Amino acid sequence: MSVLTGLFDSFDNLDQIAVLDIARWIKHAPNEVVLENYLANKILYPQTLPLTKEDTELDLAILREALRANGPKNLAKTGSFLGDNTFLNVTLRKILIPSRFLRFVPSLTALIWAFIDAFLLERERKDFFEDLWTITLTGEIDEVVGSVLLPQFSDRNGVLELTQGSQSYKIRFGSLMIIPCPLNRCQIVYKFNKGKILGKQESAVEVYGGRIGLFIDARDKKK
Amino acid sequence: MKALKRLRIEKDIVTRVHRTLKARGQLNISLGQEVAPDDIIGSCWVSSGFRILNLSQALSVSPAEAKKYLRREIGQKIYKGELLAFKEQGFLSGKKNIISPSDGILEYLNEQTGELKINFLPQKIDLPAAVYGVVEEIDVPHGDIVIKTEVSRIYGMFGTGKNREGTLNMICSRDELMGELKITAENSDQILVGGSLIRKEVISQAISSGVCGIITGGINAGDYKAMAGGRLIFPKRLENDIGVSVVICEGFGVQSLGEDIYGVLQKYNGKFVLLDGNHAIINLPSFESNCMRRVKSIALPKQQDAVMEDNVLKLHDTNIGSMVRVVGNSYAAEQGRILAVDKIETVLPSGVPAFLLTVETKRRKIKIPYDNVELI
Repeated sequence: MSVLTGLFDSFDNLDQIAVLDIARWIKHAPNEVVLENYLANKILYPQTLPLTKEDTELDLAILREALRANGPKNLAKTGSFLGDNTFLNVTLRKILIPSRFLRFVPSLTALIWAFIDAFLLERERKDFFEDLWTITLTGEIDEVVGSVLLPQFSDRNGVLELTQGSQSYKIRFGSLMIIPCPLNRCQIVYKFNKGKILGKQESAVEVYGGRIGLFIDARDKKK
Repeated sequence: MKALKRLRIEKDIVTRVHRTLKARGQLNISLGQEVAPDDIIGSCWVSSGFRILNLSQALSVSPAEAKKYLRREIGQKIYKGELLAFKEQGFLSGKKNIISPSDGILEYLNEQTGELKINFLPQKIDLPAAVYGVVEEIDVPHGDIVIKTEVSRIYGMFGTGKNREGTLNMICSRDELMGELKITAENSDQILVGGSLIRKEVISQAISSGVCGIITGGINAGDYKAMAGGRLIFPKRLENDIGVSVVICEGFGVQSLGEDIYGVLQKYNGKFVLLDGNHAIINLPSFESNCMRRVKSIALPKQQDAVMEDNVLKLHDTNIGSMVRVVGNSYAAEQGRILAVDKIETVLPSGVPAFLLTVETKRRKIKIPYDNVELI
C-alpha cells in the first residue's frame, strides 16, 4: 500500500479523541455526528486537503486535541530527557512545528496558536523559565520563527507595558498579541504593575525573533 | 502529476473461494473434481437449539415424580402436538394433558428441578458448490473445501464480520437511506445492497431478520466503532463479528454507493455472492459455464490473497479522461471524468494552494485538488 501523508500522520490515536473536546475549539461547531464523521474520514483519507475555511478550523481543532492527547509525559515517570515528545522540548523550552504541516495549514500564525493552545495554555509551570519558549519550524533545515512569552498576572487588573525597538505595547490579562520582531534576536524591555515575567516585575531580556515574531499569551486558565 | 489509484473492482479474475459446512458432516467431493453451482459437495446436520419445559410445574407434581407421567422415553423423537405427558384426575387435582410444543428429541429430565430439555430435530443442510470451478483443497475435519473459480471482486473501504454468503438483493437505490422498514424476515440469508447510509437500528433489524450481509456507501463513525471493537484503524487488524457482515464502500457519513460498484452489483442481483466483512471484500462468482476454460488454464500462486491486498492502492499518472472518485469530506464519493488539469496552483478558500482538476460528474462539473481524488 502506498504511503499517504497528511496533517495527522504522527498520531495513531485520533479515533480516541472525544468529539466534544474538538468542538470546544470551534466557534460554530457542527453536531457531534457530523464532527465524528469528519474526523473518521480524515483517518480514512489522510491525504485530503481542506477546501473551505470551516474545514481548516476543524483541522486545527483536531490538531489541538491530537497534540494534547500526545503531549509530553511526566519526566519523572518516563525517565526521558526530552519528555518523549516530538513537538515540545521541555528541557530546551522549544516548540517544534514540522514544516510539512504548512502544506495543510498555510497560516503559520494559526498553526503556532494551535500549538500554544495544545501545550502551553493549561500547562503547570515548574519554574519561571517556562514563561519563555522558542518556536522552531523543523524540516531539512530548522528555522527559528519567533518566541512565546507567557506573562504571570497576579491580578486580573494587571497591565504589562512592553517596549520592543521604538514601539511600546500595553498587554492586559486575558489578551493575545503578536509583536513583529523580524531580527534573529530582539531586546524587549518590560514593566509589570501586577505580575511577573521570568520572575521579575521589571527587566530587559533578549528573545529569539523571526518571521513571525513574539507571541504574547496573557490568558491564564487557572484564574 | 500523480494521484492515488484505488483498486475497487477486479473483473473476471481466477481466485480461490472457501465453501464450508455449517456443522460436522460429510463431504462428497474429491481433489481436482470440476464442480458446477448446483452440485452438492457436502451435507451436515445442524441442530437448531433446544427448549426447556418445566414438566413438574405443568403437571403440578414434585420434580421427582414427573418422570412417571412422561408418555415417551428419554431419547425418543416427538412431534409438535403429540402427547408428551399425562396425569389422571386425582382426589385433589384435575386431569392434565401436556402436549409437545415442538418437534424434537427428549434429551434429559432433571429430577431435582422437574425440567425437561427437548432438542429441536436437527435439519439436514446441503452445501452447494455455488460456483463453477475445480476443487483444490479438502479439509475433512473442518468441513472446508477450497475451489478455484472465476469471480468479479469488489474491494470496499472497510467493514466488519466474518465470511458469509447469500443471494444478492438490491433493496434500494444507491443514494437512498436504507431504512428498517425495507428489511423483513423475507430477507433472511440474503446480502442486501443499497443506500448512502446505514444506521445501527437498521443493522439490528437486519440481524433479527437473519440477513447475512449488507453492502452500502456510508455509515456513521460511532455506529462503525460500536461494531468494530471501538477503534478506527485502517486497514483493520481485528476480526469482529456481530452476526451480520457489513461492507462499506465509500466512507463515513452519508455517501452514495459509487456508480462503478453499484453498476457491477446490479448485474449480480438475485445471484449467489460471498462477502468478507473484516477484509471488506465481495466476491461475485461467474455464473457462466464457459469460465471453466480459464479456471482450468490458470495456475494460482500459493499466497494469492496477500499479493492482492498490496495492489489496492498505488500512485498513478493522471490523464485527461481518467475516471476519478472524490474522497474526503467535500463532494464525497462523487465520480467523474477528468476534463482539465490546471498548470498553476490555485489558493483554495481554506488558504491552501493546490493544483486543481476539473471533473465532470453526471450532475455537474467540479474543481477539486489532486489530493482529494483517487483514480478508479
